[in-house]
Amino acid sequence: MTILTQTKMKPTAKRASRSGEKSLTSGAAFLLMAVVSLVTLFPLFWLFSSSLKDISEIFINPPIWIPTTLHWENFTELFVNRKFGIITWNSLLLSTTMTVTALLFCSLAGFAFAKYKFRGKDLLFIFVLASLMIPHEATMVPLFVIYKNLHLIDNIWGVILPDLANAFGIFFMRQYCSTIPDEMMEAARIDGCSEISMFRKIILPNLKSAFAALGIILFVKQWNNFLWPSVILRSQEHMTLSVALKALEDSNNTPYHLIMAGSVVSVLPLLIIVLIFQRQLISGMIDGAVKG
Amino acid sequence: MERTGWNRQLRYAPYLYISPYFILFGIFSLYPIIYSFYLSLTEWNGSRDKLFVGLDNYAALLRDHYFWLSLWNSVVIFLMYVPLMLFLGLIFASMLNSNWMVGKGFFRMALFVPNFVSVVAVSFVFVLLFNTQDGLINTFLMNLGWIKNPLPWLDSPWWARFSVASMVLYRWLGYNMLLLMTGLQSIPKDLYEAAYVDGATKVKSFFLITIPLVKKMLLFCTVLSTIGTFSLFTEPYILTKGGPLNSTLTPVLMLYNESFQNFNFGYASSIAVCFFILMMTVSLIQMRLFDEK
Repeated sequence: MTILTQTKMKPTAKRASRSGEKSLTSGAAFLLMAVVSLVTLFPLFWLFSSSLKDISEIFINPPIWIPTTLHWENFTELFVNRKFGIITWNSLLLSTTMTVTALLFCSLAGFAFAKYKFRGKDLLFIFVLASLMIPHEATMVPLFVIYKNLHLIDNIWGVILPDLANAFGIFFMRQYCSTIPDEMMEAARIDGCSEISMFRKIILPNLKSAFAALGIILFVKQWNNFLWPSVILRSQEHMTLSVALKALEDSNNTPYHLIMAGSVVSVLPLLIIVLIFQRQLISGMIDGAVKG
Repeated sequence: MERTGWNRQLRYAPYLYISPYFILFGIFSLYPIIYSFYLSLTEWNGSRDKLFVGLDNYAALLRDHYFWLSLWNSVVIFLMYVPLMLFLGLIFASMLNSNWMVGKGFFRMALFVPNFVSVVAVSFVFVLLFNTQDGLINTFLMNLGWIKNPLPWLDSPWWARFSVASMVLYRWLGYNMLLLMTGLQSIPKDLYEAAYVDGATKVKSFFLITIPLVKKMLLFCTVLSTIGTFSLFTEPYILTKGGPLNSTLTPVLMLYNESFQNFNFGYASSIAVCFFILMMTVSLIQMRLFDEK
């Protein structure tokens, strides 16, 4: 929570106080935004606070805002007895692998659609467009059957593979690639660069900001992904954080203190990453929604 | 490098570059969706032989009370949060867009945070908050003396829908606010100045300038929310498990239950196909809206 409050207090915005009436409305607006922010941040505060409570303190009246004894043993319990070390590692491995691979595939395809002329290009691109309309949920049953035959059940590759065909990412990269000047490519070709090494040496370095924006979106999405992983990841040592949280609930006498501690494990790393890359995330989310 | 080799590279490179996408798409999206159509014509529990039943699954689905209920629930939840979300989103967006507001970056982030933190984690927090007997909200309201008896946030049909809707509102308000902010930024500033000179009040120019000019963006947000609401899964699954009395059952939750709880793969596939057609229709509307721009 402290991270949140300390960053991003922009001193740049000026207080306009030309007339008293204006400063009154702006004061009221500021107050309103402050209250709204408190409301949106409160559940996160409650999450962090509850993660350090004993189970008996969670539903107590009057409520304990900040526990006096911090029950760090909630976290030790998770990492020592509930395999959260490996589970966190799975989430990290899954999200990173998926993001890096998808970035490569999306940038290749986006680049091809932006910068090459080839037979069938328009038709193929319409195909990519149309593929956005297939919801993942509608393919779950057949994918499950296919996975059974491919032995991909309870395997993180089963989560990664379908997400690699990312039409939105292709749009995104195509948009960025079309801003690369043709002269740059021509010059490389005249210097005797092969197409693939031109992509590697000239194009990739130019896509850094696009990679940051798309990368953070894909990572966040995959890190928080729940439905499909929960269908195919069965055993504890293959679960991701989201799936493991739900699995904690299914044990007897729902251990809310552990669920909250596990939630902190799943929320905190992402919160830090996003606060560092917030500009990329926000610009990417907007581009994605408006253009996708 | 030799000229012909160069040409050949130019010709094949793009196909090489797009092939990973098309291969993966073919295996993991196209084939499954076609397979889904086929499965929807069978009766199958995943292990026995498939029994071809033609359109029986669809006939049963159209007569299935729960399927219509899941659609109805989605509509109710949609109506509970979308108008409020767009209204608040627009007001907050215009506040954060004005140059006199202090701490814009912080407020924008504070509103956006719920959107990217794990939905599973947030759902569990809401379980704690909404708990009827000793959840924080009821404790708070009763301590203040505003209510005598605990409200059944997750235990009665309308309250449960309301709770799911408020969680969706919580998660998506900031995101829609951001989209509306980009819409607002495209409105020329001098329009407001002209209105100010003509003596229009803030409220008046909000209704006469802001709303009409972001109408398209509002429509766009509505379409995105439509897709989002019909696809709701995690929130009702964790908050209420679809209950009470299936009041928060959604199409995707029903699909999940039929396939991975009851193992009616054929019947589940017919739900999947109907869901696909529904989502496709909404997406097409969205594309039309986007094209007009």
